[in-house]
Formats: sequence, C-alpha cells, structure tokens
Amino acid sequence: MPTSRRSPLLRLEVNDHVYELHAEVGTTLAEALRDDLALTGTKVACAEGHCGSCTVLVDGVPTLSCITLVHSVADAKVTTIEGLRDHQMVHAFVREDALQCGFCTPGQIVSAVALVGATPKPSTDEIRHAMAGNLCRCGAYPKIEEAIRTWQD
Amino acid sequence: MPLLRSGIVRAETLVDIRGVVPRGIDGASIGAGTTLAELECAPQIPDVLREACRLAASPQLRNMGSLGGNLLQSTRCWYWRLKWPCRLHGGDECFAHEGEHREHAIFENGFCASAHPSDVAAALVALDATLHTNRRELPVSDLYHLPRADDRRTTTLEPGELLLSVELPPAERSVYLKAMERKLWAFPLVGVAAARTGGVTRVALAGVAPVPFLLQGSLEDATPLPRNAYKVDVARALVKRALAALEEST
Ligand code: SF4
Ligand code: FES
Ligand code: FES
Repeated sequence: MPTSRRSPLLRLEVNDHVYELHAEVGTTLAEALRDDLALTGTKVACAEGHCGSCTVLVDGVPTLSCITLVHSVADAKVTTIEGLRDHQMVHAFVREDALQCGFCTPGQIVSAVALVGATPKPSTDEIRHAMAGNLCRCGAYPKIEEAIRTWQD
Repeated sequence: MPLLRSGIVRAETLVDIRGVVPRGIDGASIGAGTTLAELECAPQIPDVLREACRLAASPQLRNMGSLGGNLLQSTRCWYWRLKWPCRLHGGDECFAHEGEHREHAIFENGFCASAHPSDVAAALVALDATLHTNRRELPVSDLYHLPRADDRRTTTLEPGELLLSVELPPAERSVYLKAMERKLWAFPLVGVAAARTGGVTRVALAGVAPVPFLLQGSLEDATPLPRNAYKVDVARALVKRALAALEEST
C-alpha cells in the first residue's frame, strides 16, 4: 500500500474502551489491534481468512480480523481475547488443558464464547459446526471440544 | 481482501457499498448484502439454498460473507492465486492442464480448467433464480461467462454494476449435496444442487466447470484431466442421491 494514503482519524470501540487512531485506508482490524493498540492477544497466522486464529467479536459476531478493514468496524463494538479474560471459558480451556502451543487459543476461545452465548449447552454437532473455522495445527480438538462441553463446571 | 493483499486485484479507492446494497429477506427477494449466516438459518428459503449456505466456507466467513460476494468469488486455481502467467491472467498457457489439477474442472475445461467454487451459485442456478443489478435483470446463469481466448472474463458484470438482489421462483422440493476434502470448511470437490418446480427438475453442479454448471446432457460427456476423473464418479453418485432425495420427499 502506498504510504501517501490519507489516514483519517478513526474512532474504535474495543473491549468497552474507546480508542482514537490514525489508520491508513487498507489497514486490517488485526493490524490496528496489534500494532496500534498493542492488543497482541489476537494472533495472525495465515492472514488470509483461512485459519481463524485472528477471530474477534464484532457486535458479538465471530469475525476474522485479518481480512476485516478497520474502517469498516468504526461504528461497531469489537471484543478481543483481552476483553474476555474473566470469562469462564478461559478457565475451562486451562482446566481441560485444551491447548499445546496455544497460538490458536485466543481465536478458539472467542468463537467458543460466541457459541455458548447463543447456545449455553451445545451438542457435539453444534460445537463442531460452530468451531469449524478455528484450525489447530497441534490437533488439540478433542480437548477443545471437552472444554466447551464442560465450560460451566 | 486476500486478492488485494496479494496484488492480484489493484484498487486506487475502496468504496463501502453496505449503504446501497440491500440486506435481508423480503418475501421471495433476498438482498445481495445478506450474509450466508443469515441465510443458513432462514426457514423460509428453499432447502437447496439454505444447505448450500450452511455447508459453505467457515462460520466466521459465513458471518462476514454476503450472498453477492459469494456469487462473485474468484477461482481457487492455485496457479492463478500464485500469479502464474496463465490464460486467466492473460498468458497463453493453462498450467493446470499439465500440472496439478485434482481439484480442477471436468467439463468445459479446454481453455481454462478452473473449477467454480460457489455452492450458492449452483443452488441458485438449479432454482433458476433471477438477479437484479443496478442496471438490469438477468437469470443467474447469465452472470457467468466461460473464459475463452477472445474474452477471458469469468462474469458479465460491467464496471460500476452492482448486484442488488436475488429473486427466487417457488420450488417444490430441493436439495444440496457436497463432497469435500474434509467434513467441514472446504470448497466443493463436487457440489450437486437439484430443485423441482412444476414437474421440472434442474440439476446444477459446483466444482466441475469454470462456471456453475447446469446439467443438460449426460455426466458421461465429461472431459476429465488425467488426475481428476474421480470427480465424474463423485458427481454421478451425488446426482443419483440428489434425485432420489427429491423423489423420497414427495
Ligand atoms: S485452470 Fe485457468 S486459472 Fe488455472 S492455470 Fe489454467 S488458465 Fe489459469
Ligand atoms: S489469521 Fe485470520 S484467518 Fe488466519
Ligand atoms: S494449540 Fe497449537 S495451534 Fe492450537
């Protein structure tokens, strides 16, 4: 992207906090979160919409921040893994040891939180359908599934 | 976005079209801005379309991706994505013909063997849906253009033309079946959409030709490449099952 791009002031609401930043047109939400706001809990692996590691909530809906232009969410509420630190789902992942390297985990937890928000007791099929967009190269799937099934315990 | 990032598509200006493209379902008309996630749980639309949406992409992409965007997606051909100077990029060779083509087309593949990736497009072709743009009204199949030497476009959309809505004719019965590399979150190796209206059954396939493929002749007329003939077998099985499902649900 050429550096001469104008960078209008942007208002961004993340985790109930309003930030103001200058972002060039073409900047992704993931870049703004990580590079401008230092919210590095959101991870970028593929950067092209395949793996789900960059998942955040936009108005409560799981969204891939690596292919979302930051200017397109200026009127929305963004929630990242940092905003979910007290959610019981985090403890469920720890308790079930639902990770190995942990790189996919923030995205897994964000998707899982949205799932149980809509369906507090999801069936195995519902878990698999809702979590299909979060890949885990370590193959921690069985324990991720278990953490989501037992998140309220 | 990925196409912009990789430089396959260049843009001087980015325009947010969400303000002018309708979103939501209004009777038989679906706004092109409606997301696949919204369609996936819409009880009033035909089974073939709902199922095609449910089996498309990943949950996050269905939350983000619109009906219009899905219809206009570019080929998954890896040579094209890696910017090899192939025919679709204006060059004079199709690298897939001699190279890796297990996911490529088995019909209409002489010039370019790319396989159309849209489940939703196949569903709409089977339903014989009508598209509305800001300039015209057209059958869904007319949106697509089979690339050839003197006109390599893959769609007929003109510069400045926007998809606005899709109009669905009534369907009595319909079904979508999809073969994938894995159970979820994959493009169709073969997708079969079948819909019956007024005693007429239309079958359309995804993943078998450079455009959504309306089955008019026989599957035995396929022209597979050396390493993708398996797709003919898969298509045969899925078409048989889809037609049986239409019968059963009578
Ligand atoms: S199949 Fe089409 S897109 Fe792929 S290399 Fe051949 S000409 Fe290019
Ligand atoms: S980093 Fe966004 S989907 Fe992989
Ligand atoms: S825990 Fe390593 S990628 Fe999922």
